[in-house]
Amino acid sequence: MNRHTNQNRIPLFLMALLILASAAVCRAEGFSFGGTEGKSGTCLSCHANPAAVSEKMLIDPTRYTRTTHAKIGCPSCHDSVPAAHPQGGVPARAECAECHSEIAQQYGSSIHAGKTRCAGCHNPHKVKSPAEISGQEINTMCSSCHDVLKMTATHGQWLPQADLHIRMLPCITCHTGAKSYYISMYIVKGQNGSRFGKQEMASYDELKSLAGGAEIVALVDKNHDNYISIQELRNFNNDPAHKNLHLQGMMTPETVTHNFEILDNRRNCSFCHTSGSTVMQTSYLTFPGRDGTYQRVAVEKGAIFDALYGTPDFYLMGSTKNQNLNRIGLAIICGGLIMPVGHGFLRFLTRKNREKKEHES
Amino acid sequence: MSEKTKIYLQPIPIRVWHWLNAFGIITLAVTGTQIRFPETLSFLGSYQTAIWVHNTAGLIVSFSFLIWFFYYATVKSNLDDIYIPNQEDIKHGIVRQLLYYCFWYFLGRPSPFHATPKVKFNPMQKAAYLVVMFMLEPFVIFSGLLLMNVTPLRVLVLMTGGIKFIVALHFLLACSLVAFLCTHVYLATLGATPLSYLKPMIFGWEEVEEHHEVAEEQQGAPRGYRPVRHYPECMQHIPDNQHS
Repeated sequence: MNRHTNQNRIPLFLMALLILASAAVCRAEGFSFGGTEGKSGTCLSCHANPAAVSEKMLIDPTRYTRTTHAKIGCPSCHDSVPAAHPQGGVPARAECAECHSEIAQQYGSSIHAGKTRCAGCHNPHKVKSPAEISGQEINTMCSSCHDVLKMTATHGQWLPQADLHIRMLPCITCHTGAKSYYISMYIVKGQNGSRFGKQEMASYDELKSLAGGAEIVALVDKNHDNYISIQELRNFNNDPAHKNLHLQGMMTPETVTHNFEILDNRRNCSFCHTSGSTVMQTSYLTFPGRDGTYQRVAVEKGAIFDALYGTPDFYLMGSTKNQNLNRIGLAIICGGLIMPVGHGFLRFLTRKNREKKEHES
Repeated sequence: MSEKTKIYLQPIPIRVWHWLNAFGIITLAVTGTQIRFPETLSFLGSYQTAIWVHNTAGLIVSFSFLIWFFYYATVKSNLDDIYIPNQEDIKHGIVRQLLYYCFWYFLGRPSPFHATPKVKFNPMQKAAYLVVMFMLEPFVIFSGLLLMNVTPLRVLVLMTGGIKFIVALHFLLACSLVAFLCTHVYLATLGATPLSYLKPMIFGWEEVEEHHEVAEEQQGAPRGYRPVRHYPECMQHIPDNQHS
């Protein structure tokens, strides 16, 4: 009987040993990510739930899913999570430079190096590609450290209309050494529905409502060819239904770099204002997306040179002048020369008539 | 049979306004050209300098415009008399002056008009200055002030149709002012001597040559030529044949 009992105990002991061994293996490997699709499911089950984690640890799953980081998943950066997580232990965190070594090198040699780390500007769980972000959002990142009023005052010491420049240009246009630029246009509206109120970016929902439920790109791109002609821009700007909307533009670097610096050629204004028509040919119209990103649609070349209605609210002095207006201006000045030239010529030919009268008197 | 009389035609405030306006507009035209065509022109070196000089000259012209307006509108109270053509000007004066510039001048006839402190401008000048001083210059100044203060005056920029419209308006009106300037400077040389119209604008006094001789009509003046002189009464010469 005892022997039998002992025989029954052996498998139980082995099972317990196995469980303990398994637990030891688990402890050695760390926290289980769950292996779900995208490798992030287990993490997001808590970190996307406001009730489960603090605001600091909360991740917006919609924004995160759009990032490149979501494709490689949480374990790629947090490769070691203590088994006690979430009760205790902080997950390992990879250095951005491990993947982005070239950018880290650029950044390391810039005037920004040492001031803040990558996460100071970029939230890795929200980061977007340059094409998906608006110029205003870029400046929002900068203004989290650089107070806008202080920057306006500092720039105003040498820069005419510093407030306009700071509002209408991404900081990186002047403070990184990008080589090529495009004009990024976006739709703004008056605050609280006021036509002339403070301008702010029109949201996806507002534009969607205005588009009557259709895709918001169709507000401008009427023929749905994913390309916006100058005529479509004019129609958009002249449409009374859009009287509260305005198209603003920003001169944005085509390739974003991280070599932040103060460039002398930006200080003398010539970099932007004498750049001429070649640089200003390319423009995109940026539409907000449902998920917080932006979609840009190519605009016909030279759209920003249209005299009046193509881009009525965007003008870069010296660079975006309209050639037809130049011709009209020249014709007006030539008209003013008719009198001196034409009359002066006849005056010269008939000078003897007046000399004769003077002698008579 | 002629004698020279001096009349005080241009008081100091008007001369100050005129030369501030003149040099200001020339400076604005030069710097404005550089600002619009920076890739080809650089009269004043850097673009920033051109902007600064342009803005400063713009403010000086705006200030001089105020001098002009308040002097005529309040001190002299004759802004309308001087600048608005009267019925006679519209019916006959403009045509008469046009005929003078186009024909009689070449035949050696004297101008049908002579300025006085009360009637400073011939009918064509009145019409031209009415447009220049009441339309061109105010709108150029207004659009220029908007372009100088795009952010603070953002609401006005939007209300006037957007920055592109304001730039186009500013540019075309400025071209019109330059065109006027060319004509104005040329016509200023059409006096008895090329500088005779310029002197009053510098010294204030104009020398008027009084002819004590047979009236123009009796000299067999060309058909349609009717001299009208706006001399002060004390200076007016009434031909003998009109006394009767």
